[in-house]
Amino acid sequence: MKNKKNGIRRFLEIIPGVLSWGIILLLILLSAWKPVLCAAAIITFDFYWIIRTLYLTTLLIMAHHKLYRQRHRDWLADCRAAGNGRDWERIHHLVVFPVYKEGLDILRPSLASLRDCLYLKERMIVVVSFEERHPHSRETAAALEAEFKDCFLGYISTFHPDNLPNEARTKGANATWAAKKGKEFISARNIPYDDVVISCFDADTCVDPGYFGCLTYHFITNPRPHQASYQPIPVYNNNIWHAPSFARLVEISASFCQMIESMRIEKFVTFSSHSMSFKTLIKIDYWPLNMVSDDSVVYWKAFLFYNGHYRVVPLYITVSMDAAYGDSLWKTVRMQYRQKRRWAWGIENFPFLVTGFMNNRFISFSQKLRKSFQLLESHITWAVWAIIITLIAPLPILLGGSFFTQMPISYNLPRIAGILLNCTLASSLVWILLSRIILPPRPKDVKWFKNILMTAEWVIVPLIILILGSIPALDAQTRLMLGKYMEFYATEKKRPRSA
Amino acid sequence: MSNEQRIRAFLFYSSVVIFCVGLPLLLSFAFGYKFDRRTFKFSRTGLLYLKTQPAGADVYLDKKLLDEKTPLTLNELLPGNYEVRVELHGYYPWSEDVGIEESKVTRLDKVILFPLRNNLKKVNKSSVSYFYLDRDKDTVYYLDGRERILYRCGLDGERRVPVGKLPPLGSQEVKYVFSQDRNKLLYFSSAQIGIVYLQQRRESVQEQAPFILDYPRSDLRDVFWHSDSFHLVIVTSRSVEVMEATPHSFPVVLAKLNRRDVQAYYDTGGDTLWFLDQEKTPEGETHGNLYKLELDSRTSPLYELIKIKNEE
Repeated sequence: MKNKKNGIRRFLEIIPGVLSWGIILLLILLSAWKPVLCAAAIITFDFYWIIRTLYLTTLLIMAHHKLYRQRHRDWLADCRAAGNGRDWERIHHLVVFPVYKEGLDILRPSLASLRDCLYLKERMIVVVSFEERHPHSRETAAALEAEFKDCFLGYISTFHPDNLPNEARTKGANATWAAKKGKEFISARNIPYDDVVISCFDADTCVDPGYFGCLTYHFITNPRPHQASYQPIPVYNNNIWHAPSFARLVEISASFCQMIESMRIEKFVTFSSHSMSFKTLIKIDYWPLNMVSDDSVVYWKAFLFYNGHYRVVPLYITVSMDAAYGDSLWKTVRMQYRQKRRWAWGIENFPFLVTGFMNNRFISFSQKLRKSFQLLESHITWAVWAIIITLIAPLPILLGGSFFTQMPISYNLPRIAGILLNCTLASSLVWILLSRIILPPRPKDVKWFKNILMTAEWVIVPLIILILGSIPALDAQTRLMLGKYMEFYATEKKRPRSA
Repeated sequence: MSNEQRIRAFLFYSSVVIFCVGLPLLLSFAFGYKFDRRTFKFSRTGLLYLKTQPAGADVYLDKKLLDEKTPLTLNELLPGNYEVRVELHGYYPWSEDVGIEESKVTRLDKVILFPLRNNLKKVNKSSVSYFYLDRDKDTVYYLDGRERILYRCGLDGERRVPVGKLPPLGSQEVKYVFSQDRNKLLYFSSAQIGIVYLQQRRESVQEQAPFILDYPRSDLRDVFWHSDSFHLVIVTSRSVEVMEATPHSFPVVLAKLNRRDVQAYYDTGGDTLWFLDQEKTPEGETHGNLYKLELDSRTSPLYELIKIKNEE
């Protein structure tokens, strides 16, 4: 029985890689054997892509508008108005920070943002969970304790032991350890789990001052508060002015993708720093202990637990994190590549979800099919789109031979592709404009000239698309297909003194 | 349903409609179909690709001036004949009746427009009887037939310098050949070979006097430089010979020839002489054969032979 289960799971792991490689290889073969058919497929894909881009850009504008409109909202006043007098004050926030190698320069601003946020500190419990295997964790913990211990209802430093049974070295394992420590604290004070919202933050996450007000408001106004995760908009503003162009563009694009996803609620899945009901987290047995994409798996676990009656509520408020970059361009590209590959490793959710669906009789078949397809389609598209547009599109002309060059489509293919892709320029202008608006104020040590650079740098987007558009996703799917499972790669954080 | 969801649904379904309606139109355009609004039917068309040298010429299709200039691609042309005329100021016009076939591309990509006034330039006024263009060094060599002086100048005719004086041969000169290193020039008649060392740009190189090699025994058919620029490969009416390009060297016969009007080609890259000759079989039949004689110093005993001969 176990072998059969493993066999099914393995089969599901192979599907995404086979589909992505199948599409790419099929198009390459068609470009030589049936170039006309291949050219028609490329035109179809280009047309689909431009319509999709324009549609998503419109969603981005809408999301951005919501974010902009709500950024000065007095959430506590809304809580008071919505929560029948002092009811909202019963809500406690458990904030966990799974920490790996991050030092004081990263952690101190994150905790300071919690201390400075506009919420009742006597309702906040902070757990900073260090990895015991890291040599400097105890000194870092002591320094932070001295500074923040008395700022909250509870402040716990804990050390996640290495090599616990059934655990891999993942962020989810550390977060689970931290949540269990928080549970001990909450139980000791007889705080009902129903009244606790847990937020799991990356070590570099600095929250907006209104974050917990916004979160509390959405929690108490939600008719089913325990059947939802709460997802803020991640921005990478902590060091964005100091990051090189390459890293900055990638991170801004990642923020925009999250904003777009926030508008597509039926497809919205938790990502990176997020919040949820503590009661639900306990019911679903916390985050996975051995999966890299813990942030999205926890959503699917809850989705299965509540038989499909679980959703992600977008919070139009930002949490700011670090843009990943290294000392040189090559290191930056490598770090970004690894980070994107880790994100793309979210495809491991597909076998998890499908096997979960197979064991669940209460979710309708149509919903199972839709969710599985949405997950698979988004990852397959991610793995192939940039390769089709940049590398495969010229192939029919190169490999099609003299027969193809006699066909009108051989002349029309580059023209149509050029016209369609020029349409994306319009959306690029929108992206440039919006990227300017979400930027934090320019630090004093950064020259004004950088404003010009940060607009002009968008010309390198095609290069980024080629390197980081599809290849990390294809890499991740290939590894999953071959059974070469990824380990959690913690992105190194780097912050200049002034940032 | 909230307003936001309504807007989103509207955008989504609009996108789906645009895709479903736009894709067939886009593909039909790509495949060369044209929608006829009068008959509400799609008809198959052809495509004309026109490229001229130089580019930027006006194009008239059936006497109607088009907005685009060359190079251009004309889509959606119904099958049939069209008069294509290309005009560019300062150039002769070009025109042709072009047949367009359905679902095919007609390529006119070798149209050259010739200027009304040719760029003809007189490089030199002397009585030039021979010239040689050395493209590698952007140099022109030319021979003043009256003074028998060889000049060197730039491609524009400027910076002219004399590089050698050619002693006259007894009879009509047949051919002039530069050595590979461009330091020597040979010229020959049917019975004599003249060798001239060209004046070098560097002053340190010692000049050598020109000399003439007499060849009274047989008719010279062709003379080539070996790639070492030191040996001559000589084809006469009787034999193929090789000798050093020095005043008192002796030729070595490498092959006897049966055919008097031998035809030869020397491949300098591989130092190989190709020639046609006749062969008589014991049965009395005559065959015309193509021969290949390798003179590469790495593969032939050429140098050894010459050495032995000289010592003798």
